[in-house]
Amino acid sequence: MERSFATEIESLKLGEGEIFHGEGILAVTKALLQSGVSYVGGYQGAPVSHLLDVMVQAKDYMSELGVNVVACTNEASAAAMLGASIMYPARGAVTWKSIVGTNVAADALSNLASPGVKGGCLIVVGEDYGDGASVIQERTHAYAMKSALWLMDPRPNLPTIVRCVEKSFELSEASHTPVMMELRIRACHVQGEFVAKDNVKPAVSTLNKAAAAPHDYATLAHPPVTFGHEVAKYAARMPAARRFIVGHGLNEKIDGRHGEVGIIVQGGITNALIRALQEIGLADAQGRSDLPMLVLNVVYPLCPDEIVGFCAGKKAVLVVEESQPEYIEHEISSILRRADVNTALHGKDMLPMAGEYTSEVLVSGLAKFIDKEIPRLGNSGAKAYAEEIAELRSKALIALGGPPPARPPSFCIGCPERPFFSALKLVEKEEGRFHVSSDIGCHAFGTFAPFSFGNSILGFGMSLASSAGVQGFADKRPIAIMGDGGFWHNGLLSGVTARLLNKSDGLLVIMKNGYTSATGTQDLVSTPHPEFKRTAGGDSTTDTEMTIEGTLKGLGVKWLKSVHTYKVSEMRDTLKEAMTTSFDGLKVIVAEGECQLERQRRMKPLRAAALAAGERVVRTRYGVDDETCTGDHSCIRLSGCPTLTVKTSSDPLKSDPVAHVTNGCVGCGLCGEAAHAATLCPSFYRAEIISNPSGFDRFKARLRRIFVKAA
Amino acid sequence: MDTKIRSILIGALGGEGGGVLMDWIVHCARMHGLAVQATSVPGVAQRTGSTSYYIEMAEKIAGAPDPVFALIPMPGRVDFVGTSELVEAARLMERGLVSPRRTVLVSSTSRFFTTAEKMEMGDGRFDSQRVIAAGKELAKTFVTLDLEKIARETGTMVSATLFGALAGVGAFPWDRATCEAAIGGGRSAGASRAGFNAAYDGVTRQLAAPASDSLPNSKSAVADFDKNVGRAGEGVAQSGDTVDTRNGSRSREIARPPTPTLPHKGGGGLTVDFTDLPTEARDLATLGLARCIDYQDRAYADLFTQRIQSLAKSAPASPERDHALAEAARRLALWMTYEDIARVADLKTRPERFAKIRAEAEMRDDQILNVVEYLKPGADELAAVLPAGLGAWFLRRVEKKGSPGMLGRPAFIATTSLHGFAMMRLLAQFRRIRRSSLRYKHEQAAIERWLAAMSAALAASPAYAAALAELPRLLKGYGETQARGLRNYNAIFESRVAPAVAAKDFSGAAGLRKAIAAALADPEAVALDAELRAAAE
Repeated sequence: MERSFATEIESLKLGEGEIFHGEGILAVTKALLQSGVSYVGGYQGAPVSHLLDVMVQAKDYMSELGVNVVACTNEASAAAMLGASIMYPARGAVTWKSIVGTNVAADALSNLASPGVKGGCLIVVGEDYGDGASVIQERTHAYAMKSALWLMDPRPNLPTIVRCVEKSFELSEASHTPVMMELRIRACHVQGEFVAKDNVKPAVSTLNKAAAAPHDYATLAHPPVTFGHEVAKYAARMPAARRFIVGHGLNEKIDGRHGEVGIIVQGGITNALIRALQEIGLADAQGRSDLPMLVLNVVYPLCPDEIVGFCAGKKAVLVVEESQPEYIEHEISSILRRADVNTALHGKDMLPMAGEYTSEVLVSGLAKFIDKEIPRLGNSGAKAYAEEIAELRSKALIALGGPPPARPPSFCIGCPERPFFSALKLVEKEEGRFHVSSDIGCHAFGTFAPFSFGNSILGFGMSLASSAGVQGFADKRPIAIMGDGGFWHNGLLSGVTARLLNKSDGLLVIMKNGYTSATGTQDLVSTPHPEFKRTAGGDSTTDTEMTIEGTLKGLGVKWLKSVHTYKVSEMRDTLKEAMTTSFDGLKVIVAEGECQLERQRRMKPLRAAALAAGERVVRTRYGVDDETCTGDHSCIRLSGCPTLTVKTSSDPLKSDPVAHVTNGCVGCGLCGEAAHAATLCPSFYRAEIISNPSGFDRFKARLRRIFVKAA
Repeated sequence: MDTKIRSILIGALGGEGGGVLMDWIVHCARMHGLAVQATSVPGVAQRTGSTSYYIEMAEKIAGAPDPVFALIPMPGRVDFVGTSELVEAARLMERGLVSPRRTVLVSSTSRFFTTAEKMEMGDGRFDSQRVIAAGKELAKTFVTLDLEKIARETGTMVSATLFGALAGVGAFPWDRATCEAAIGGGRSAGASRAGFNAAYDGVTRQLAAPASDSLPNSKSAVADFDKNVGRAGEGVAQSGDTVDTRNGSRSREIARPPTPTLPHKGGGGLTVDFTDLPTEARDLATLGLARCIDYQDRAYADLFTQRIQSLAKSAPASPERDHALAEAARRLALWMTYEDIARVADLKTRPERFAKIRAEAEMRDDQILNVVEYLKPGADELAAVLPAGLGAWFLRRVEKKGSPGMLGRPAFIATTSLHGFAMMRLLAQFRRIRRSSLRYKHEQAAIERWLAAMSAALAASPAYAAALAELPRLLKGYGETQARGLRNYNAIFESRVAPAVAAKDFSGAAGLRKAIAAALADPEAVALDAELRAAAE
């Protein structure tokens, strides 16, 4: 795993009255323990990875409490785990990134929601929406509605988040329904504090085992009881949930002096709203608002009495609901209509349908609302603000002479996946364009410059499946690229076995770096064994781990080649062969090379220890001769390494900048390999820097100094 | 009673330790008894991409609820912005997050070029001076210093120096000692503290300096901006390095070269007089002269001199002619000293090269350096240095029977070994027969043709000549890159320049410039083909 949570584990142990300081998602973890959770599972993905990572690392403490922590292989497997709470009084929690994870989990979620639960169930979803999001922009809300799961969207401060976690379990048990909690990216990563409580040992646990539940057909998601489940959802469970929500005051009502209007807002964007109100002089820094507000920490189900109570007697309300479509606004509209409350309802008519609701966006929506419904508040300053910011931006753009260049994330320095794309680029140069099905994972950075590969992304592990249709009509054999993470998450079944079943042609490249690296290098079933890593030191160990190859052979894949990614020429030739061979059937290239984050982490302490002990240590780095580089930058277009950059030439005659390798170089050798493979230029050199040289090194150095000056 | 919320935004690149910086600030705020909130959008995968960290803090008021903090910075309402890289400052300005009414902006002048900038075939670097100008206009106070360099010098990360810079501009309502305490006592804390202090002192020194700039909204710190940016490239470059002025206006200000130092061969007593040339051309011609001596010999330098003098005589002085002449001097010098095997082998075995490698790798004296070259000489490159007749025969043979086995294969030559060094020196000896070589013949013929066109153009239209002077810029690189450059050069010369010379019609300067720009737009010549096709229709 990329990060160590040693400090965070200690804060999980805090007791009653102590102050927890830390990240939002870790506060959730602590709240789970305070709620007496029996089992926890999940699948990693920003922004919720840390929830599970910290628990996996806190193995000893978890067994002390009796909590069963499971790293699931995908979200469906995590959701299915919650089945334990259907007939046992066991509280369970799972986590994943949404919307994508919820999509994968959807089948299990439906089957869980139908019979309902006995033990409290909480699904913590990282709502990957808005600035910094890495997935398609959709709402988890739809799943809550269609499966009748309850959805929390707490105000983004630690005390509220923690309270909502605790109340979620109670709500779940009171209404026999699993509860979801959506936390946006910034809320997951928010640093704050709350007053801790003691952790609670779970009722049933690895320490306190339970006898098998009796057979009860009603707990199965199977006809005919499913018809009864459907009735129970709306006749019993939802009313119970509404009673609980109102009874425990989960939603917050903020009074304001302009009572003729009001705002109904999702908990998660309340802070942005308050900042917007503050800007136009309608709230103070403590969040006391002049406009009454109903803050929905529970966004599904809504409680009709609460909504009607808030709206009745008001001229108009504004629903502040981020993302699309406007489920909450529609539901409020039905509630008001049924209760014959004629308060004017605004929302998406004044606020944008799509995109993150920042304070800036909200200022402009609030201005429209005030203009229309409470014009006596007059010029609120919203217009002035919009003008001020527009002017700032236009001034900046003029002064800068255009927008600054984009800086998307990219492969790390020394990443073993970069050389694969260099090889693919060389193949494209020789063979012309071909269809590339991309996938989710670090290798998706190959879709950015300088590589710019990829015709489609259809989901995690879906690349091979997504090229099945193209296969039929493509003039050149299409390539599907997936990572080992995607392979185990889904790709093996939806892609590989489907090709084998149909005995159809295809070309799959599996990027075997040994971990789910993009999410923080969590382990896979094919992660190299710790013993191999120990003996390998700083070398790549993925060539020692053959689970993927063994699996493919066992399934009957006949054309299978493993190539180390740093052998650029060999990779190019293997790719060309795979693209042109007459072999009809699935061809798999395993492009292996261990994630350098893991490798470097092993290597650094070893190297430091060797240096400290006075041992001979060789550091390798690459370089470009300033004098011979002509500044065409072909090497950069083939590599994109962050340390292979440009600088003003020291030669005043050369007007174009020359290539340059910074001292951040880890000596992976791609630039030299690529220069060779593409026959680029003689400017690259490898420098081997020997610390604590041996007597023989020194002898050789003395000898050659006669000829080679200054070396 | 209302509370004043202090907002701090940090712009950085993934992997620079911005999270650590955020934690330090949060820790200080807590120690100081403030209510504080911080958040970020790292996404676990945002490696080396732009990222930001946002912090809000306020006094706690007894009896009042805690302030409500926002998670997203509001445009125009951020008090302090600190960036670890100059274009990240530009990005935040573009988004309206820097306001002359309230924002103190402190940015590193260091650049970490984006892929988009680096991969351009010419010069795609974003203009640092524009960012500086924008900062001066948009920030209430704008301070810059090279945080990356300070970090390098103190052996720490830019997170530590940015912490010092933010503290120096007064971003925090606590004292310097609190910051230093927050850095803690870990293994790397000493270096972090040193970096913090160096940046802190750098900033406060700037702020204390008297304002020598009349810009509104900006305090004394601006006085040092230009100097600082000039310094930004210092770490890697030698004298003659210039402030980067690129994009948009292509006017390059070359630094005044020092009297050329003549390397180990050639000969002393350089007395060529370029006094009749305009200043810029004179400077470049002087450099070119030295380059030719270094490359071949005195006679070759004389040929260069003669060519330049002859161009100068083609037209009377005018600003346009002078500019064209300067550019021609630059291109002629580079063209005449084209990189063949002999030149590369010579440059790679010079003592100053090894000294430079040692310096770049920050080596200590007790460390030993081995250098291994990545070479892949092809048949073309060998033929190029052979005598013309032999070279031509060799190429014909290669075409029929294929390349001999040893060519076109990757070769690793350890220049620091006796064997490798000797081999490279041997290759460098091809210089002696360079004048009779195949490539020399081709290059000189092309140069003469270009010079004739230049001469005619200078007399008729200095503007056209200025564009034509730029054309050899396309000739660069080795192997396929060189072949591509030559192809593009010829395509433009044949379709644009040759007809212009024949018709004595030099009105197409703009079209010629467009074609050159198109050739530099993409390596597959998509833009160039389109441009030439469009012009032909």
